[in-house]
Amino acid sequence: MYLTNINLGQYIPTGSFIHRLDPRAKLFSLLMIISAVFPTQSIPGAVMWAVALILLIAASKIPFKIVAMSARPILFLVIFTFIFNIIAGYFSKGDFLSAINTAIFTASRLLILMLFAVMLPLTTAPLELADGIDALLSPLERFRFPAHECAMMIGMALRFIPLLMQETDKIMRAQLSRGARLDQGNIFQRAKAFFPVLIPLMVIIFRRADEVATAMEARGYDGKSGRTRRKPLVWKKSDTLAVCLGAIIAGIFFMS
Amino acid sequence: MQSVSFSYNAKNTGRALNRVSFFVTRGERVAILGHNGSGKSTLTRIMGGLLDPDEGVCEINGKNIQDMPFRELRGTVGMVFQDPENQIVAAMVEDDAAFAPENQGLPPDDIQARVELALAEADMMHKKDSPVSALSGGEKQRLALAGALAADVECLILDEPTAMLDPQGRLTVEKVLRSLHEDGMTILQITHQLEAESFSDIDKIIVLSHGAVKWEGNTGDFWNMAGDLGFELPDSIRFRKWLDVHGMNFPDSLAGIIPTPQNHSSGKNTGAEKYIIQHLSFKHDEKNKALTDISAEIYAGEWLSIIGRTGSGKSTLVQHLNALYKIQEGQISLDGNPLPQKGEGLTELRRKTGLVFQHPEDQLFSPTVKEELAFAPKNAGFKGNELDEAIIYGLECAGLGRDFLERNPVALSGGERRLVAIASVLSARPECVVLDEPLAGLDAHYQRIILEMLGRLRNEGKTIITITHDLNTALKYSDRILILRAGEKICEGSPREVIHPITESLPQEAWPEALRLSAEIRTVNPNFPLVYDYDELIALCGA
Repeated sequence: MYLTNINLGQYIPTGSFIHRLDPRAKLFSLLMIISAVFPTQSIPGAVMWAVALILLIAASKIPFKIVAMSARPILFLVIFTFIFNIIAGYFSKGDFLSAINTAIFTASRLLILMLFAVMLPLTTAPLELADGIDALLSPLERFRFPAHECAMMIGMALRFIPLLMQETDKIMRAQLSRGARLDQGNIFQRAKAFFPVLIPLMVIIFRRADEVATAMEARGYDGKSGRTRRKPLVWKKSDTLAVCLGAIIAGIFFMS
Repeated sequence: MQSVSFSYNAKNTGRALNRVSFFVTRGERVAILGHNGSGKSTLTRIMGGLLDPDEGVCEINGKNIQDMPFRELRGTVGMVFQDPENQIVAAMVEDDAAFAPENQGLPPDDIQARVELALAEADMMHKKDSPVSALSGGEKQRLALAGALAADVECLILDEPTAMLDPQGRLTVEKVLRSLHEDGMTILQITHQLEAESFSDIDKIIVLSHGAVKWEGNTGDFWNMAGDLGFELPDSIRFRKWLDVHGMNFPDSLAGIIPTPQNHSSGKNTGAEKYIIQHLSFKHDEKNKALTDISAEIYAGEWLSIIGRTGSGKSTLVQHLNALYKIQEGQISLDGNPLPQKGEGLTELRRKTGLVFQHPEDQLFSPTVKEELAFAPKNAGFKGNELDEAIIYGLECAGLGRDFLERNPVALSGGERRLVAIASVLSARPECVVLDEPLAGLDAHYQRIILEMLGRLRNEGKTIITITHDLNTALKYSDRILILRAGEKICEGSPREVIHPITESLPQEAWPEALRLSAEIRTVNPNFPLVYDYDELIALCGA
C-alpha cells in the first residue's frame, strides 16, 4: 500500500541509443505508433506490436521489471477495460467466447499502447522532453498558445513526481501511526479518511512549487524565450532513421 | 559590491524587516544570524532581488537592484536555499548545472565551460555524469551551489545552506564555501546555528532580531557578546575562552595536569525490556538491503538515541516498532509478546508506541489545535471525558497553554507547530514515543524546550527513542545509544560505552567538539580521559 516502490515513468539513464535519440524523433515516432496501434484488429498484429515493444525495451537497456512496474498504476484501467468489454460484449451479442476474445484484444492493445507511451519518459530526461515538446508545439505560438510554458510545466511535473510520491508516503505513514484507517470501510469512509493525507500534501505541493519557482528565478529563468541549450537539439541521421522505422512499422499496420 | 542598505515593511502583518541597514565589502564572508522568525528569509529574498522592499533600497556595486536588468542581476548575485531538492531542475548533474547559463542565452561551448568550472569549484566534477537521484544530500547541495556559480556571479547569498544535511554532508559543503571565499567570492550566509568550523573564516557577523539589526561586528567580538545576544557558543570556542580566562593555552599547558577522577552515574537504569529485536533484516527490494541482522534491546523508561548517517536504516528500523513496516525476517517482541502485525492488536500497538516523523508540523491537517490533538486518541477509541482529558494531557506534555486549543495550526510559528505536532501524538497516551530528528530546523530556544520535554516524559516512565545525526545531543541527553551504519548495527550501549566505537568508526571532524578537544589534549597528556561532555571537560581541567 505504500508508494515508494512505484516508478511512475521516471527517467532512467542507461546511455542506450534510444536515450540518445532526439526527443522530437521519439515524440514523432510515439505519435505514429499510437495512431497505428489503435486500429490494429488482428491477433498477429497485436503479437507483432508486442514483439516490437519488447525489442524497444531491450534496445533501451531498461530492465523489463522497471517498465512493468511503471505500468502498475494503469493496470487498473486495463483490467477495467477487460471486464467492461466482456460484460458489454456478452449482453450486446450474447456470444460469450467472442466477448472474451474482444476483451482480451482491447485490453492488450491498451496495455501495449500505454507501455509504448511509458517508454518516452523512461528514456528521455525531463528537461530534454520539455525541449522536444517545446519544439513541436512552437508553431502554435503564432496562435498565442503558451507552448514553452506548457513544455516546461510537463518537464517540471515529471521531475517532481518521485518527490511528491515520497512525501505522500511519509504523510500516510505518519497518519497511520496516529491510528488513521486509510484502508478500511466503504468508499465514502475511505475518501473521508484520506483528508488527513490530502490536506498536508496540498500544503506541501504549494510550498514546494513556490520554492522551486523562486530557485528557478534566482538562476535567471524568466519564462521567456532567449534560452539557449548546452546540448542544442540536433537532428541526426539516426533520428531520421528512427522516425522512418516508426513510419514503416506504422505504415505496415495501416495497410494490413 | 559596495553597500547594501534598505528597509522594508510588510503591509498588514507588521514589519517583517524594519530599517535594516548594513554594507558588505567585496570579497567578505558575512554571516547573518537570527532565530526563527527574525526576518532572515525576507532579507535573503530582498538581497537576491526576488522581493522588492516597501521602503529603502538594496544596492550592489552602487546600483539599486530594483533598477538592474534581470539578466545583469542574475549574473551578479547567486542564491542557494535550504532544501537542495527544490533547487534542482534537471535529472542529470551536468544538465542541472547548465540551467543558469542556458537562461543567460550563452552559446553551447561557453555553457559547457561554465558548467565544468562551476562543478569543479563545488567539488562535484567527479559526479558530472551521475543522475541527480544517485546523489547524497551534501552532494545535492553542492550541485545547487554549482548551479548558482555557473551564472558567473560575484556574490553568493545562502539561506541556511547546511540545515538539512547530516554532519558529514555539512562538512563537505563548508569546505567548498571556504575555498570559494579564499578565491575572492563575496558570501552572505544566513543561519540560526553557529558552527565552529564555518566561523573560523567569517569576516563579519550581523545579528538580526525581530526584523532589525541588533548587533554587528567581527567574529572575535561576537564570542564575547554571544551570550547576551541569545546565542550559544560552540564548545571548542567556549573552551578556548575558558582557558584564556585561566591563563592557559591549548593544549600545551594541559600537559601537566592530573585529571581528578569523576564519579559517573552509569546511565539511568532501566526497567524490564520493552522491545527485544532479534536478527531483524529488511529489504525494500531485491537490491536495497535496508537492515541486516539487527539485534537490540530497548528498556522501559529509558531514552535511547539511534544514530547514523542519512540512509543508514534508522527510519526503517523505528518504523518496525509500530508495524508500519512488516517484519520480513527476524523477530520483535513488545513486553514479552510478539509484535502484532494486524487487526485490533495493531490499533493498540499504534496507540502504545507513538511515532513522530521528521518535520511533523507538515502533517497537521485540522482547522484547530484541539481537533488535531483529538485525532490520534479518537482513532484509538477514546470517547467523551476520556477524550477531553487526553487532549489536555497532550497539550500539557508539550507545555502549551489552553489558549492554544481553539487556534489554527497554520497561524502558529514553526516552533509552536512542531510542539502541536508532538502533542498530537502524545495525546493518545503512548507508553513509548519515537521521534525522528525532533530538533531539525529549530532554533536553540525550541530545541531546549523539546529536550526538556523529552527528559520530563522519560522521568514519568515513558520510553523515549530519538533518531538523530547530532551526536553531541545524543551523548548529552540519552541513556543509551545505538549506532547504525549502512543497515548494520555498529554498537549499542551507554554514552560512555560507545565513545570508543565512535572514535574508531567516525572521522574526527564528525566527533562532538568536547570529544575532539579531549583527544587533542591526549596528544600531549596521555592520562587525560576521552570525554564527550563540555562540563566534564571543564571539571577535569579545573583540577
